[in-house]
Amino acid sequence: MQLARRQRRAGFMGLTPLIDMIFLLLLFFLLGSDFVTYGQSRLAPPRGTGGESSAAPPVVITLAATGALSWNGAPADEALLARETARLVAQNAEQMLVLMPADEADIQQVTSVMDVLQGAGAQSITLERDVFDIDLADF
Amino acid sequence: MQLKDTRREIKTIDLLPLINVVFLLILFVLIAGRPSTNHPSGLEVARSEIEATHQGAALSVWLKQDDVFYLSDKQPVTLGELAHLVKEKGLAAQGMPLELIADRRAHAKQLLAFRRAMARAGVGEIRLKTEIIAAASN
Repeated sequence: MQLARRQRRAGFMGLTPLIDMIFLLLLFFLLGSDFVTYGQSRLAPPRGTGGESSAAPPVVITLAATGALSWNGAPADEALLARETARLVAQNAEQMLVLMPADEADIQQVTSVMDVLQGAGAQSITLERDVFDIDLADF
Repeated sequence: MQLKDTRREIKTIDLLPLINVVFLLILFVLIAGRPSTNHPSGLEVARSEIEATHQGAALSVWLKQDDVFYLSDKQPVTLGELAHLVKEKGLAAQGMPLELIADRRAHAKQLLAFRRAMARAGVGEIRLKTEIIAAASN
């Protein structure tokens, strides 16, 4: 008896599941990824709480909620801050800068001032609420 | 008169170019993207032009726009509780820094309070998370 030989048909590989999986992968990575670059601003310890001691007296910079700045009590702008900071840091790399933002100033304003100071080379920046929080031994 | 049927026969669509393009997209996202950040999407950190490498910290605290501190998305925490946690974990004794992920619209008052409370708890350095933006060209 001669059996009829069944011929297999060439199977067609369905691509739909593959495409589904690829789209799911794409969605997963798109939703799970972040394209923003993050950094960090370092805040030195407040004076009188174990922070590094500095021979030079700290400079006090105030920031009003309106964005107005002062340098050791005198009105200042960002250019003056950068210039004076660079001058002091050139003399003493450990120069302590005390930033005193107003309570109502927002964190973006504080960060922007810290940017100016760090951009001018300051390495030791701390925050204080008011002059009474500053350790008098530093002066 | 009988007109000739001009309808085109439907041919199979070649899917390989589509798959190639989608694979390229996945590659792009993998290379250009980073794993999601450790803060909620509603929180917008302050923008900075200083390119300082972001490093992890032993403890990350969120300060949202409502001026409230959080340890997780829905767990508000007071500064007293935070100080207690820092002591409990021994972070100050190990000299480990803390990371503050603060919304740029939150107020400096809370930043100052956090700074002071953590200093009292013995924490030396605090790292304020920022979003690096390209410096404006002069």
